[in-house]
Order: sequence, then C-alpha cells, then structure tokens
Amino acid sequence: MAKIVPRPNLSFWEQVYFVEIFKGLATTMGHAIRNLTGQTKFPTVSYPEVQYDLPRDYRARHRLMKRPDGSPRCVACFMCSTACPARCINIVAEEAPDKHIEKRPVRFEIDLLLCVFCGYCVEACPCDAIRMDTKLAVMAGDNRADFVVNKESLMEWKPTDYPADDTQSQKAPGGSLHAQALDEFKSGTYH
Amino acid sequence: MDFLVLNFDIILTLLKPVLIFALLFQVLPLLVLAERRGAAIIQDRPGPNRAAISLPGGLKLRGFGMVFNIADAVKLLFKESFTAPFAHKWWYILAPAIPVVTAILTPAVLPWFAPIVHKPDGGALQVVSGQIFDANVGLLLLFAIGSLSVYGVVLGSWASNSKFSLLGGLRASAMMISYEVSMGLSVLGLILLVGDFSLTRIVEWQTYHAWGIFVQPVGFFLFLISMFAECNRNPFDVAEGESELVAGFHTEFASSKFMLFMTAEYLHVLLASVLIATLYLGGYSLAPFPLPYPFGAQGVEWVVIDTAWIQAHLGHVGGAMLIIGGLTMLFLSHLVTVHKRAYAAQKPSDLAERAKESALFAGLFMFLAFAMVAGGLFAIVAGGPTPLSGVIHEAKPVYPLWVGITTAVIQLHIVLGKTLVVAWLFIWVRWTLPRFRYDQIMALGWKIMINIALVNLLVTALIAKLVK
Repeated sequence: MAKIVPRPNLSFWEQVYFVEIFKGLATTMGHAIRNLTGQTKFPTVSYPEVQYDLPRDYRARHRLMKRPDGSPRCVACFMCSTACPARCINIVAEEAPDKHIEKRPVRFEIDLLLCVFCGYCVEACPCDAIRMDTKLAVMAGDNRADFVVNKESLMEWKPTDYPADDTQSQKAPGGSLHAQALDEFKSGTYH
Repeated sequence: MDFLVLNFDIILTLLKPVLIFALLFQVLPLLVLAERRGAAIIQDRPGPNRAAISLPGGLKLRGFGMVFNIADAVKLLFKESFTAPFAHKWWYILAPAIPVVTAILTPAVLPWFAPIVHKPDGGALQVVSGQIFDANVGLLLLFAIGSLSVYGVVLGSWASNSKFSLLGGLRASAMMISYEVSMGLSVLGLILLVGDFSLTRIVEWQTYHAWGIFVQPVGFFLFLISMFAECNRNPFDVAEGESELVAGFHTEFASSKFMLFMTAEYLHVLLASVLIATLYLGGYSLAPFPLPYPFGAQGVEWVVIDTAWIQAHLGHVGGAMLIIGGLTMLFLSHLVTVHKRAYAAQKPSDLAERAKESALFAGLFMFLAFAMVAGGLFAIVAGGPTPLSGVIHEAKPVYPLWVGITTAVIQLHIVLGKTLVVAWLFIWVRWTLPRFRYDQIMALGWKIMINIALVNLLVTALIAKLVK
C-alpha cells in the first residue's frame, strides 16, 4: 500500500528561505567557532594514534583461558568446532596427564580469515575455555598462514589487561589444582 | 639608490604584474587550506593532518595541513596525463588553460593600494597607480574578461565528448548567462552613485562617503549571490554536481589539466573576494565612513580616513595594524596550545612527536606576536608627525617615497584582510547550504534576482536624484 507522506507545512518565513539561510549560517558558524577554539570533543578520533576503548563484550579475536598451572583450560571436547558455522576451529586432542581431566588439546588453531566472529564457540564451550574479549579488532598479516593462530598465540595474554574483579577471567579453577585455586581465592592471593 | 628613486614609477610599474601574480599564488594555497580546515571545523572533524614532512630530530612538520597542498600538486603534476581517446584533442588540451588565463588577467584592473605620489629631488612629480592597468572602464573590463572563463568550461565539456561533461558545461553556460544579468544590474546602483567605472574612483568615493555595503546593502547581497553563481560555488555548483553528473565538466580531465581547472576555481573565488571587498567593503580604505573626532578645533569634527590621513598619521596607523597582527599571532599561538592539550587528553600514541610540532608553532607565533606588538608600540611612540616634503599635489601634501611605499603596504594588507573575510564567507556558505536544484537556480536568477536588482536600481536612482 502506498504511504502518503504529508508535505511539511512551512510558515511564511520558512517559504521565503532567506531567514532559514541565516539560521543555517549561524549554526555552522557556531560549530566552527566552538571547534576552532577547542571547546568541543570531536565525535571522530585520529584513528591509528587514538583508539576507541571497545566494550568488553565486543567480539574480537579469541583467547584461550588458563588453569592455575598455566595449562589450557580447554578439555578438547570439540563443542566449539562443532558449533562453528564457518568451521574455522581445528582441534587435535590428546590424553591429559592430569587424572581429573580426560583430554587436552595438542593443537588448537583458528583460521581468522574464515572466522565470522559470531561468538558461537564462546557460547558452546562447557568450561569457559574460549573467550572473545581481547578487544583485538584489527589483525594484520602478510599471507594467509599468518591468520591461522595456534594454541600458543591464543594463550598469550596478560592477566593485567583484564578486569581483576572478574574471577573467571584470570587463572581458572579446575583440575587437580582446584582446591589450591579456591584457597588462593579465599585468602586474597588469587590473581 | 638615486637611480632607483628617480625611476621609481618605471620600476614599480614593471614590478607590479610580477608582485600581484606572486601574491595571488601565495594566497591560493592558504585559501585551499582554509577550505579544508573550514570544512573540518564546521563538520566537527579534526581536518587534514596526515601529510607531513619528516625532518631530522624526529620532527614531523604537518603545518596545519599545508603539506597537503604540496602533496596534491606533486601528485597531480606527475600523474599520467590521460587524454580520453574519444576527445577532440586540440580543444580538450586548450580548454583548461582558458579559465586560468582569464583569472590571471583579471587582477590587472583591481586597485591594490592608492596611487603612490612622490617627487624625487631633481625629478618630476610621479604618480604610480595601485592598479597594474589603470583603465577608466575598469569594472567593465573586469566583467568582460571574467565572463570569458566560462568558455573554458564549455569548451572542455564539449571537447570531452562525454554526455555528463556536456550536461555540466551546458548548465555552467546557462547559469553564467542568467547570473551575469543580475550581477551587472546589482552593481549598477553603486556605479550610479559613484558615477565612474574606474575601480580606484569607486574606492575613493567609498572613502569619502561610506562603504558600498552601507549605501547599497541590497546590491551587495545580490552581487554576492551572483558571485557565488559566477564562481560555480555552492549552492550553485550544479555544473559539477557530482550526485547526478559524475564530476560535471571536468569528468574526463585528469592530472595537470584537472589541476588547472581547480586552480582556476580557487583563483576565481579569490578574485571574486577581492572584487567584493573593493566594490562593497571599501577596498583599501581603512574606515567604513568618516569618523567623528571630538578634540577638533571647532568641537566635534568629521575626519575622513583617506590616504592623506593615513600618511599624516603613519606611525599610529602602522603601529595599530602591527599590534592587531601581533594579537592575532598571540591568538594563533593560544589555539595551537589549546588543540595540543585537547589532543593529549585523548592519550594518543604519537603525543611526543606532535608536541614537538605544537611547541615549534606555538613558539614561532609567540615570537612573531611579541615582535609585532613591540614594533607596533615603537611605531606609535616614536612615530611623530610624518615629515613633509613641501610639495602639494591635488590639494594633498606629498610625502617622501618611503612614506608612500609604507602606505601602499598598509593598504595592501587592508585589502587582503577584507579579501580573506569575504573568502571565508564563500567557504562558510559552501559548507552550510545544500546545492539548489537546477530549475530552482534558473527561477531564482530570472524571476527573483533580476527583479530585485531592477527595483534596487530604480530606488537608488530616485534617492540619488532627491539627495542631489
């Protein structure tokens, strides 16, 4: 059905147009003076030098969470690679030395060129081992191989870059060292 | 030295074309920069800040975006000079030159300073005009030459052999014809009052009566709007309306030919600004109307701030202008510091490098400010009555040559200051108003502007008759 857009009812002075020109000129001059004298903060930033602080739930490059001993928290259950619509996660599993943990990944690779950054892997993970809160929105490389990130590079992150009050974001409890991690958490030495 | 003073009129007459040409091409990059920066500050953007010259010592000189002009010129000059295979070659190459040539010819009849009058020892009295070519039909000549520039646009669009170009060229020519009429009629009111086509006479008349904008406000607005149309500027830039015509008349032009079109466009803006400043803002005259001087011999006296007055009070006028310039420099220095602080608040990664450049420019402007204010104060304090040479020419005292030259320099700066104000008006309007539709432009030109101009002319004629 055709939608009828009513014509705006212009007043006499708006139809003359002349007055509106001066109003517009006053608006732009106001902006010019305010910006020239540095009174406003630009909505744009000088991008590579200044970067917006992305929100923590922005789906950026992935990272793998760690246990207190530094080993990956991933149990190689293949849930993420199954959930992945782009099929960009490639996991090779092996038996874990810790008797409380069944498996661990020997290889965990994500092809970032295939990845669509949908976040399904994060939702699918049963033990919160994969996250996308690194804020790394820009990835650069010279060839396709550079964009295939392996387990080591996914685990290269500094705990200081993440909020300390989020216990899950630091060394995660679990496995044989679960009790120790919980003790540390209670005594306040957990970080 | 004696030779130079004795033949001053010949030397200056030979130098004037070179000086004015150099002056125009010095102000042109400033205008381009003002356009870019002005667009940025109106649209809440930081503006051009990428192109930089790296100097030893980790200093990257950005010059507020001035380096972009160099980058543009280099890029456009060294690009492949592509000639469309379907173009009419001879006219296609000739076309971009025409607007530039006309734009370079036009300043010949514009007055840049009052005639320098001086009498060398053992020589005849010399009068050197402030125009390159002192024509008594100056304004007509200016319009005649200025109107030729549309030939370049039309020729270029026709020779391009492309439909978009041709449409742009046709629009340009139709607009030129429409607005030429209202332009001529709007300025006729002023001509009626002055009674002369010579631009120097028009400026002199404004000095002794009032600036054109006060006696002909309607004419000023009509002339301004016509000038926007003549320069193909917003809101009248349908000739290159990129929303429907790709790029209009210069669609098929690239590299140096495109650069010539662009140069001509900005030269036209510059010259239109000078023309408006000359016709309606008093040209090189200092005050908008005769000012009351309360401490005269018979109480309040009306003092005409003309060339003779400036020459008699050279120390005060020059000093005041230097102080105004110095305060402007101080303001610029302040702006540099403010913007550096605002940039530092964003915590950028290149703060140290930017801070170096900011410090350099802030220091430079500060130095200039202090130098100019000190010079100005010295001129005001030390500059007593200007020494007379005892010669009288046309009931005005004739001063030594250095007084004449200094006055000319002061007047040149007055003209340039007014020109920059009008040029900012061009930029300001461009980034405020949307482009008119083509039929709206024609309707405005033929149905409104010409009628108002005719009524204005009639009213001016009646009032002029009644007053006289």
